[in-house]
Amino acid sequence: MAGFSQTQTLIFERKLKHRALTSVWVTAREAFWIALEALRSHKLRSFLTLLGVVIATTTLIVVISIINGMNLYIADHIANLGANVFILDQFQWASGDEDWLKQRRRNKPIRIEDYNFLKENLRGHKNIGAVSWRWPRPNARYKNQTIDEIGFRGVTPSMIDIGQEQVEYGRFITESDYLHSAMVCFIGQDLVDKFFATVDPMGKVILIGGHPFEVIGVARKIGSTFGESEDNFAQIPLTTFSKLFVARPRMNVNVQAWNSRQMMELEDEARALMRARRHLAYKDDDNFGINASDTIMGLWQQLTGSVFAVTIAVVAVFMVVGGIVIMNIMLASVTERTHEIGIRKSLGARLRDILMQFVIESGVMACAGGVLGVLLALAVSKIVDMVFTASVPVMAVLVGLALSTAVGLFFGIYPASQAARLDPIEALRTEN
Amino acid sequence: MESQIAPSFTRQEAFSEDGVLIRTEDLWKTYDMGAVAVQALCGISFEIRRGEYVAIMGPSGSGKSTLMNLIGCLDTPTRGKYWLNSRQVGELSDDELAYIRNKEIGFVFQTFNLLPRATALHNVELPLIYNGTPAEERLERAQEALQRVDLADRMTHKPNELSGGQRQRVAIARALVNSPSIILADEPTGNLDSATGVEIMNLFDRLQSEGHTIILVTHEHDIAARAHRIIHIRDGKIDRDERVR
Repeated sequence: MAGFSQTQTLIFERKLKHRALTSVWVTAREAFWIALEALRSHKLRSFLTLLGVVIATTTLIVVISIINGMNLYIADHIANLGANVFILDQFQWASGDEDWLKQRRRNKPIRIEDYNFLKENLRGHKNIGAVSWRWPRPNARYKNQTIDEIGFRGVTPSMIDIGQEQVEYGRFITESDYLHSAMVCFIGQDLVDKFFATVDPMGKVILIGGHPFEVIGVARKIGSTFGESEDNFAQIPLTTFSKLFVARPRMNVNVQAWNSRQMMELEDEARALMRARRHLAYKDDDNFGINASDTIMGLWQQLTGSVFAVTIAVVAVFMVVGGIVIMNIMLASVTERTHEIGIRKSLGARLRDILMQFVIESGVMACAGGVLGVLLALAVSKIVDMVFTASVPVMAVLVGLALSTAVGLFFGIYPASQAARLDPIEALRTEN
Repeated sequence: MESQIAPSFTRQEAFSEDGVLIRTEDLWKTYDMGAVAVQALCGISFEIRRGEYVAIMGPSGSGKSTLMNLIGCLDTPTRGKYWLNSRQVGELSDDELAYIRNKEIGFVFQTFNLLPRATALHNVELPLIYNGTPAEERLERAQEALQRVDLADRMTHKPNELSGGQRQRVAIARALVNSPSIILADEPTGNLDSATGVEIMNLFDRLQSEGHTIILVTHEHDIAARAHRIIHIRDGKIDRDERVR
């Protein structure tokens, strides 16, 4: 009788093991329903408990959405120099203050000679073009209508392949226009809307800065960047531009490579040519700038990086505070439900069943907070998007939910272990 | 439904060849209350056979609650040995004790100890949840257990919507649902009026006649008198062990 045979031990152990496997799923589901029930029966308390997690999740998602929205915006509007294009400019754009002052002192403007030199000597490019600006902006007139300020550019014919403008109808400036300094212009949609709302603009003559230009083509609508229309422009041949407006205009040289792999090569080549042309010693810095989309994106990402780092810190603080609040309320809940824990233990709940019940409850609660935070973030992002820009990435939502749930699970461990360690007899004796 | 409960009876038969379900040998339980050590049990030895109907009687402070906790595997003895179904319980881990409580023991408490926010059905399902019984089978068995205590029409009621007697019958259904070796009832009629008490005692009689082993802890003579054997406890020792029927 006292002897308790080996077969029996084996059967007993096997049963325990089998039970451990099957019951985890069943008890987890039970715990899940208990958690939902607890949430439902203590709505206000749960909400107050979860405020920290809600705010943290919302902050995280909203900031990511705004940064993401601006990233898309920058990529779309500002950094869009065209595919595989780099720009030779007097200055290197994304540089520090000190560097900038130095550039101001020593960099020399890019002139038409530089363009012609590069056009002659740079090998392997797909397109090369030059653009010059008129500043302050001139006005444009047609009959008795005036637009006070238009973006006014003198360009080479190749710019149509390099820049973001596309021909809607008519034609762009041709080599012939360029060679003969023709009095022609290629205009943006804003001018069409203002001057030629009801008539065909082709062949009409408009006055820009007092000089007459024949409209030869209209650009496809581009849209606006930071509230400023990109369609309010007129472009004329660079030759005409320097003859009528600025004798020796400063300009940018735009170089388009065949593919992204060739970009670096071509940038180096252009840099070497320019340095040779300007007789720079090998230890001298460039006195010109070579800029590409990634320069701008790089600067931007540096900026958003620090914003993001601050956000991470703030969210972390919120989450920890939120987690501690959850832990606190779970500890209270364990005390409140000591008798229930005793009942469950008397019915055969193991340590891990009770542990799981409370950890899951805490996790479900925090996850609900995360869901609330996500909803709030979606609403806030929607509003931000109306006045500024925001785009909620799915990843941010997933990270928000995962993070809040993880916080709940983590901060639930301590209260749950307190619950699981209760002595069943003591717990049963406790009356609530 | 009976067929689902039957296999566990066969299992019990396989374990104990001589029909002894519980055997204790010199059980001691000492509570360490700081400076003084309180001797709650001082060498309890007895045997209970399968199918017996035993009442453990004694005044309050006699150690009968401690003994019940030990028999119910809620606690382990300080000294001595306890075999339940030929398995020595004192040596088991907490998880193994939980398994035994789940499988071998059906508790019926004086205060019912039902979960207040759960329905009668869910309360009865609880022991099945903790042994991982799948949902459909769980539901069937819980319903069957409630039918056995004549509460088929009260399944979706919560404890506060039931009378004391009905609550105790839910608790009994919960105790029965896993077909345990022992039904361990601690003052099951203590919170009931005498008419309902009789009703509950009749239910125990019926369960006993169906083959269940019942251990009743009480201090009331007329309740204890329903049992077939009374073990009197006094000052942590067995005072008298008498067969009444």
